[in-house]
Amino acid sequence: MVFSLAFHFLRDTGAAEEVAQDVFLRLYREMDGLESDKHVTLWLRKVTSHRCIDYLRKRRSQFTISLEDTNEPSAVEQRGDPLLNRRLRQLIAALPAKPRIVMVLRYQEDLTPEEISEVLEMPVRTVKSHLQRSLAMLREKIERSMGDIR
Amino acid sequence: MDDFEQLLKNALGRKEQPPAFEAKVFAAVADFKTRRRIFWRWASEIVAVMLLAGGFWMRYERETQDRAAGEAAKARLQLALKVTVTELSKIQKTVRTSTEEE
Repeated sequence: MVFSLAFHFLRDTGAAEEVAQDVFLRLYREMDGLESDKHVTLWLRKVTSHRCIDYLRKRRSQFTISLEDTNEPSAVEQRGDPLLNRRLRQLIAALPAKPRIVMVLRYQEDLTPEEISEVLEMPVRTVKSHLQRSLAMLREKIERSMGDIR
Repeated sequence: MDDFEQLLKNALGRKEQPPAFEAKVFAAVADFKTRRRIFWRWASEIVAVMLLAGGFWMRYERETQDRAAGEAAKARLQLALKVTVTELSKIQKTVRTSTEEE
């Protein structure tokens, strides 16, 4: 879950490994404060999401390479049309940090807007708004590049 | 969840971590433990040195204060003796003068 979240957010195996390793190290340090499996899962999602956003912010200040220009990492487990999946991942990667992490939590982790709101500590209304706007934008872009898929 | 959302779900399928990842995490945890142990050893040694230095400093301060107090007492005693000697000389002079008159 941790590596996958970081990977889909950052689209870089090395960066995802770095973030995931950092998250597990923090988990080891803060293990005593975590009471149950559910608490650990929520904590992992929360810390991974925030760490990913921070990582992206730091990386952006160092490099100005567009995520659209980066190569698609190999060996991504996928179902359906690989080309369409690749295009969708590129489009998600081009979203700003907050809507992007909302989309990853929603469609990778299968979380409800309420659960996402708890993980990201943002109002449910904001989560729903990010989802609606991102979905509309992705639909429009995918329709424009690949035709109507609905 | 409509078809488009299902497509998104497929595109964002779980990505398994690289095979060496677990070993890297364990290595990072071991490294962290080592660094923490070294840190605590250094910290305890620094605290011990500081306590020792503090002890020596307090002892030195007390000795300096004691010496100063001793010096002050000695000076007071010398003054008192001087005053006494002066008074005794006056008394002796007076006694001698009255004896000679008799």
